[in-house]
Amino acid sequence: MPALALPKTAAWLAELAGEPLPGRRQEDWRFTDLAPLQAVAAELWSGPDPFSQCSLPGGISRIAPAQAQLLLDQGLQATGSSTAWPVRLNRGASPHFLALRVSGSVEPLQLTFDAAAGQGLLALQLLLVLEPGASLELLLHHGSRAANATSLVTVAQLGQGAKLNLGVLAPGDARASLLSHLAISQAPASELQLTTAVGGWALSRFEPRICQSEGAALTRLRALQLVAGQELADTHSQVQFNGPDGQLDQLHKVVADGAGRSVFNGAVRVPRSAQRTNAAQLSRSLLLSDRARVDTKPELEIVADDVKCAHGATVSRLQQNELFYLQSRGIAVDQASRLLLRGYCDEVLRELPAAAASAHPLQLLLRERP
Amino acid sequence: MIRPDAPLLLEIRDLHARVEDQPILKGVNLSVRAGEIHAVMGRNGSGKSTLSKLLAGHPAYSVTGGSVLFRGQDLLALQPEQRARIGVFLGFQYPVEIPGVSNLEFLRVATNARRVERGDEELDTFAFEDLVRERLKLVQMDPAFLERSVNEGFSGGEKKRNEILQMALLEPLVAILDETDSGLDIDALRIVAGGVCQLAGPDNATLLITHYQRLLDLITPDYVHVMAAGRILRTGGKELAVELERSGYDWVDQEVA
Amino acid sequence: MSTATVSDLVSQPYKHGFVTDIETEKIPKGLSEDVVRLISSKKDEPEFLLRFRLRAYRQWLQMAEPDWAALGHPRIDYQNIIYYAAPKQQEKKASLDEVDPKLLETFEKLGIPLSEQKRLSNVAVDAVFDSVSIATTYREKLAEHGVIFCSISEAVKDYPELVEKYLGSVVPGNDNYFAALNSAVFSDGSFVFIPKGVECPMELSTYFRINSADTGQFERTLIVAEEGASVSYLEGCTAPMFDTNQLHAAVVELVVLDDASIKYSTVQNWYAGDENGVGGIYNFVTKRGQCRGDRSRISWTQVETGSAITWKYPSCVLQGADSVGEFYSVALTNNHQQADTGTKMIHVGARTRSTIVSKGISAGHSSNSYRGLVQMGAKAIGAKNYSQCDSMLIGDQAAANTYPYIRSQQPDAVVEHEASTCRISADQLFYLQSRGIGFEEAVSMMVSGFCRDVFNQLPMEFAAEADKLLALKLEGSVG
Repeated sequence: MPALALPKTAAWLAELAGEPLPGRRQEDWRFTDLAPLQAVAAELWSGPDPFSQCSLPGGISRIAPAQAQLLLDQGLQATGSSTAWPVRLNRGASPHFLALRVSGSVEPLQLTFDAAAGQGLLALQLLLVLEPGASLELLLHHGSRAANATSLVTVAQLGQGAKLNLGVLAPGDARASLLSHLAISQAPASELQLTTAVGGWALSRFEPRICQSEGAALTRLRALQLVAGQELADTHSQVQFNGPDGQLDQLHKVVADGAGRSVFNGAVRVPRSAQRTNAAQLSRSLLLSDRARVDTKPELEIVADDVKCAHGATVSRLQQNELFYLQSRGIAVDQASRLLLRGYCDEVLRELPAAAASAHPLQLLLRERP
Repeated sequence: MIRPDAPLLLEIRDLHARVEDQPILKGVNLSVRAGEIHAVMGRNGSGKSTLSKLLAGHPAYSVTGGSVLFRGQDLLALQPEQRARIGVFLGFQYPVEIPGVSNLEFLRVATNARRVERGDEELDTFAFEDLVRERLKLVQMDPAFLERSVNEGFSGGEKKRNEILQMALLEPLVAILDETDSGLDIDALRIVAGGVCQLAGPDNATLLITHYQRLLDLITPDYVHVMAAGRILRTGGKELAVELERSGYDWVDQEVA
Repeated sequence: MSTATVSDLVSQPYKHGFVTDIETEKIPKGLSEDVVRLISSKKDEPEFLLRFRLRAYRQWLQMAEPDWAALGHPRIDYQNIIYYAAPKQQEKKASLDEVDPKLLETFEKLGIPLSEQKRLSNVAVDAVFDSVSIATTYREKLAEHGVIFCSISEAVKDYPELVEKYLGSVVPGNDNYFAALNSAVFSDGSFVFIPKGVECPMELSTYFRINSADTGQFERTLIVAEEGASVSYLEGCTAPMFDTNQLHAAVVELVVLDDASIKYSTVQNWYAGDENGVGGIYNFVTKRGQCRGDRSRISWTQVETGSAITWKYPSCVLQGADSVGEFYSVALTNNHQQADTGTKMIHVGARTRSTIVSKGISAGHSSNSYRGLVQMGAKAIGAKNYSQCDSMLIGDQAAANTYPYIRSQQPDAVVEHEASTCRISADQLFYLQSRGIGFEEAVSMMVSGFCRDVFNQLPMEFAAEADKLLALKLEGSVG
């Protein structure tokens, strides 16, 4: 069901962001209709602070507010995020703020942001500072059951040799919106694994921006986005190499069913200083219905000669030969499709932090009964 | 075949060289006359591969002292392509793949460059195809490889056969074969070694860079040199290789220490 | 190691940079409705064409120059351009013997002999000098087969019904800023019509030469292949060296009916400016073909080496069922050149297929972008696209960008895209050198190897020429 835009909400959101809502004439928002966001009530979400009950394992400490704000601003600037509309909106919406410093290797952590049946806009900010050599596995679990909106800005700084395994599991509601901006800076020898699995939102927009501040880091991105019904899922990723010997391995997977729309824009920027960068980006889209649409736009910008940058994209339905193989073993076509679809999704889902397993991500996102 | 009166082809005198800031060769002396087969043995890192690449003019190595004369001419002053044209050939340990460049075209251009240097006529595409098909037999290579890009998608054995095919076409005076036996199964090794033996004659010389005895079972060297720490430690006949195979390189370490 | 560097190898003086000293009729600088009317009246055009021009002009006035391609250039002053220039000779001559020998000499110098004795035996040539066509060879022989090959001005006079039917039917007068400008002021270009069932007996070729400074070139090409017809067409272009920029805004329209095919090849070598980026042609071109018929086919092959700025996306609208679109491109940029080129494959009909092979080579301080769109419409059941975009970078000051858009609304369509970036590695160079192949030849072998998939698509006569052109352009640049 298409969301009905409330003019009052649009004005309110524009006021929070200090800038009108982005429109289709802006290249970054060409395919992304913000109507579902405007269908939420023009008020801030009023439930308890989702961060207040968070118990922290040893090795993780809170950062004092003044310093946290400074680090957050620095982090946003490093990836050119400060002017992004979702970030401006988030800042204007008095976000709940959690700022953590991680030293050494710590126990896995999970944070749940469930807008549940609440009204209005839930705004959250998360700052993660990983000291050199620190290691963290973190799962962010989103949810909603009503026409509300969640806005999350995550800023992470990975020190030298630090490792961050960040998972985002976001099963949504067909009335709800999710705007998630991630600004991540990586020092040399750091390793980032970012796995996002999102599906079921009226509107979701992920904006991961990764900057290898001096190169020589490892970035591994895995994403799965599912749309059905009238849903729209959008990912605009950007990876910037500001020094030599950086590595990127990116896989973006899409399943588009019903009258859903999927948008993927993947920028990779390799300036002159980033010699010996090795970057690979693969985008794979499954189009399951003739009312669904997929828009894919990779952007590779390279100004260094000694680099390896490979990129690939495919859009198609399930592989006929794979289907046939299963059918020839006596499996009915529906069941065979299901099996293949599950396998297709599982390639990304199995890379989520271990804590995700108990939530049964495959069932959640494919909307199967457990 | 050792003939003391045979002309001197290659004369390496007190050769010092380094890669970046790392000294690798520390005074290599070696003389090679026409008709001779030399084997240079040694552990990884002893400097033997450096020696072979340096003789071919690889830009990563810089000479810090000593000299190399090829038939009395200063070899080190020449560009890599000039060295090839006058008859110095390097069979690579890891031949590089060059996508898009046709193997046949590559072989023809290289062969003609050598022919022009020797004062022979250039071969047109038809004459060259005849020649290359004849030389293919030497390494028992499928003519289909001519239609592919240089070394692209070739197996290890196919790459090495392609190297020997190039050697057969360029007819070098000094052939330096760097670890030609590495990565080959026994059949491929026989074919490659057979090719080398057939190409060896009274007017040319072969320098085998190798780690193992097994290639020397198929190609009998006149001299065996043992390299360690950037110098030739010992020189002997083929029995030296047998001794190395039996007792290993430990004695070398002691002598170096 | 050789002292010649790969970077030194790319810069060879432009050899087509001479100016022909010939009396030229020019209209004053500037653009207005009066200028549009003047051009139309100079060409003695029928009413429909004047209306077409004026409509486009009025629409152009409402449009803004696009800036999305991120091509950096100073603002173009459209009032500082001459929109019509023609060598002074009264009528187009019936016989080549009457054409000003200076013009024939010019084309001969460019390697395009036009005279009966010297002309190429298997290629018919239309030679366009500044704004007008000066000669078309083999017209009679082609006419025997029912093939029409002439300048578009002549076509307007001799076949007005065909021109009226097809002109602007693929690229409307208001398609984009530069197409609108072209529609308003186009001076000449080629017209090709291949009737039903005819396979054109020879290659057709148009050679464009800009001679005057401050003159814009706005040619218009229209090629129609009726049911079952086929033709291979090639265009070439050069210009003198001026230290001011000249605007070239062409429009090419192709129409292909059932079972027909058009193969359109371009070797573009407009003056690119000097090594500091001064002068050169701004090449803003709209090329589009419509596969209207079932099983029809359009194949674009381009070798783009010239121009200060190139902005060009030869496209295929695949309407007919089982129609096929192809795009093969080599774009080489050096010094301060900017190229933003690619294609659009719009799949409308069922089982339509398209192939895209793009090879970009960037050297010097240049910027080379592939920008493409593959669109699978809701009815494109069973459609397929395969794209491959490779970039080669020479030196660390050049930029290679890849923007391949994919839009699909059809689950039964398959889109596959691959892109890679490479350079000429020192190891590859050494390997070739160690076999006696000289440095420059080794570089040129690798570059032409990189482009081989595209050169294979060019007509035989031009493949070797393209290879040579690339080698020339690269001279002095690799290292």
